[in-house]
Amino acid sequence: MAIFIGSIILLIQDKSPIDTFSLMLRLSVGSVNSLSASLNKAIPLILAGLGISIINSVKLWNIGAEGQIFLGAIAVNFIYINTQINSPSIHIFVLLVAGFVGGSLCILIPAITKVVFGVNEIITTLLTNYIVFGVTIFLINGPWKDPKSLNFPAAAYVGEEVFLPTIIGKLSFGFLICILFTILAHYLKNKSVFGFEMRIAGGSAMTAVYAGINAKQKAFIAMLIGGGFAGLAGAIELLSQTHRVSTGISQGFGYTAIIVAAITGMRPLGIFLVGSLFGALSIGGSVIQTIGVSAYIADIIQASTLFGALIIQFFFTYQIKKVEND
Amino acid sequence: MKQYILEAKNISKTFGNVKALENVNFYLRKGKIHGLLGENGAGKSSLMNILSGIYQPEKGSIFINNVKQKSLDPESASELGIGMVHQEFRLIESFSIEDNLTLSKSNIYQNNFKEAYEKYSEIFSLSVKPEKTISQLSVGEKQKIEIMKLIFNDSKIMLLDEPTAVLTPQETDQLRISLGTLSEEDEKTIVLISHKLKEIREFTEKVFVMKNGKMVAEELSTKDVTDDNLIELMMGNIQKSIIDKSNTAGDTKLSVKSLKYVDKVNNFKILDNINLEIKAGEIIGIAGVSGNGQVELANIISGIEVDYFGKILINNKDVSRRGVRSRKKLNLSYIPENRLGVGLAPGVSVLDNSIVRDYFKTRLGPHLSRSKTENYLESLINKFSIKAPNSKAEISTLSGGNMQKLLMGRELISNPEVIIASQPTRGLDVNAVEAIHNLLVEQRDKGSAILMISEDLDELFKLSNRIHVMFEGKIVKSFNIDDADINNVGLAMAGIVE
Repeated sequence: MAIFIGSIILLIQDKSPIDTFSLMLRLSVGSVNSLSASLNKAIPLILAGLGISIINSVKLWNIGAEGQIFLGAIAVNFIYINTQINSPSIHIFVLLVAGFVGGSLCILIPAITKVVFGVNEIITTLLTNYIVFGVTIFLINGPWKDPKSLNFPAAAYVGEEVFLPTIIGKLSFGFLICILFTILAHYLKNKSVFGFEMRIAGGSAMTAVYAGINAKQKAFIAMLIGGGFAGLAGAIELLSQTHRVSTGISQGFGYTAIIVAAITGMRPLGIFLVGSLFGALSIGGSVIQTIGVSAYIADIIQASTLFGALIIQFFFTYQIKKVEND
Repeated sequence: MKQYILEAKNISKTFGNVKALENVNFYLRKGKIHGLLGENGAGKSSLMNILSGIYQPEKGSIFINNVKQKSLDPESASELGIGMVHQEFRLIESFSIEDNLTLSKSNIYQNNFKEAYEKYSEIFSLSVKPEKTISQLSVGEKQKIEIMKLIFNDSKIMLLDEPTAVLTPQETDQLRISLGTLSEEDEKTIVLISHKLKEIREFTEKVFVMKNGKMVAEELSTKDVTDDNLIELMMGNIQKSIIDKSNTAGDTKLSVKSLKYVDKVNNFKILDNINLEIKAGEIIGIAGVSGNGQVELANIISGIEVDYFGKILINNKDVSRRGVRSRKKLNLSYIPENRLGVGLAPGVSVLDNSIVRDYFKTRLGPHLSRSKTENYLESLINKFSIKAPNSKAEISTLSGGNMQKLLMGRELISNPEVIIASQPTRGLDVNAVEAIHNLLVEQRDKGSAILMISEDLDELFKLSNRIHVMFEGKIVKSFNIDDADINNVGLAMAGIVE
């Protein structure tokens, strides 16, 4: 359906859909370089999506992944500026942890207000996006502004010693972290006691009380972990792509991640696959501009994929079944 | 024929397989207060909903002022002057009293609201300004506004569904006076639904009694009929136990000592000085109309509600200040009355729901072993013959009986010392009821101490060794099963203790 809608728009623009899509395909997954570019794009989508899905285990929505990505990156830069570690591998590890903690900190206030006062987390997490974005703008125009950036608002580059290495082609080491965290999230959600407790707490608060499960505590921890996942995405983005704090740390990854997580029904393995697909779509979208097609076509395809998936979900949820009496 | 303002003849209504109403007749005289008495599920509310046009009957005819009504819907019923106050209030919480009262298009006091409001707030002895929003009112005040709404909408026939359920005794008294004034001065025809005999007696002139969807007594004159008669009509005959109760009781497993519980918001005493003792191999029944403190009692014993006075001992161990989990470790099981929502979590799989009680036993550190949990569910399914599509299916895909079997199985498989079973068979079909009863008796024979809270007298008489009757938060009477009969238990349930 997504391709169908994309084709119509392409035809309106007098471009051949087949040519455009084959070009998109070739330039997003057709070579080692293009494939690695796609997967690099997928990393923040997948990690933030996993965070959203963990928080959704207790039936809460995290709309603040975008802010968490930024605060993760800010935390990385803060630690980078203020610490001196000689071993690069330990240094990178510390910075990644800093990113995770930064993401958790970002969702801390929504988590507290949710658990203590019952404030709607959709609104508070959304609001933190604006706050963190404001803080980012302040930092890169003020205290962290790089004098060498020729007035472009950005912080100074981090040293090459903390760049994340690449594995194959341009594929960042972050992708391995991403695989690891996908497995972690899958385990946490589906195979652990904590995941079970989250499901019960999300299913019915009264059942949780009845079972002796502290539903608020589970919600609180789930939110901190979920925020941390998105923060880690920000850290990887900084250490492997932008190498500095700027507004380019995220291109709406935190919002696209909501789509990715929702399409897959909050399943970690699904998020990994769909996140990768979305990464490829976005790379494909940027390359089709070279033949004069707007990159927004890719956005339209993404959005129509979501619509399609949501409609399909509806039919999966509401099936007409024959019920046998017993 | 003239004397009746409303006549309903041969009304029948079924929901699914359940006959809610069967050839029911009902007559109302203008300006009189009528009582409609019956147990929960007898069909009182269904009948009222038909008269107010919410449900359509399958059979039967309704005459209003001797004119046959083809079909009633809420709008036409309201135009004909039939108004109803539901058990759950239908007020708009964020609107003011005035807005709520004048909301309906059939409102007759649009222009002289002030005088009308003054007049009726005096009748109801209500002393709040009409600008106040509904959410600021107490439950009793909201009730008064609900009834006033009917007056403002020019209802001549007022159907009140359990209006006193939420009221304190003083407020109930006040309501009686207010309704009396309305019937005399405004010639309002009033129907009061209740299962409290005392109120029926004090409020009404005529009384109708329903049982199992049938009208078993029509238009009795309240002052000529005795409480015993009414109880018998309402409850019918009950077979005494066929279950052997000769097993000997063991040590005391559960004691509840001078339990007191106050609802902080309304400062309303929900439980007052409850004392209980249950021995191994005993089933103690708690009889009572729901809403007399039974849910709170069960929640306190199981550890869910912690803000109370008094002591709970399990196996002579004081657990008053312990949480849910430590009571579970002492092997207490709780089968809550709210099966889906409390006992089982909706939206969660059968597997997850099956391990809610014992999941800490199936874990290896933070890991929840899939094979152990699957085996656990498997054993529940086999032992308690539960029909479930598969372990990953959502819990509400199970039938009510299977849900309850899963819940009971989960709570009983560890052979608990103390079992609290609240309304264990409510809403289940005959076969499921039988299965659940057998489980409880089997568990009793294994030496569990069982507290069974139920509204179903059949069930209480069949299973219990002793019956305590709860009324307005107190145990008003206790019976050994051999001394109990349907009349004295029924009277105690209605709050009549000589």
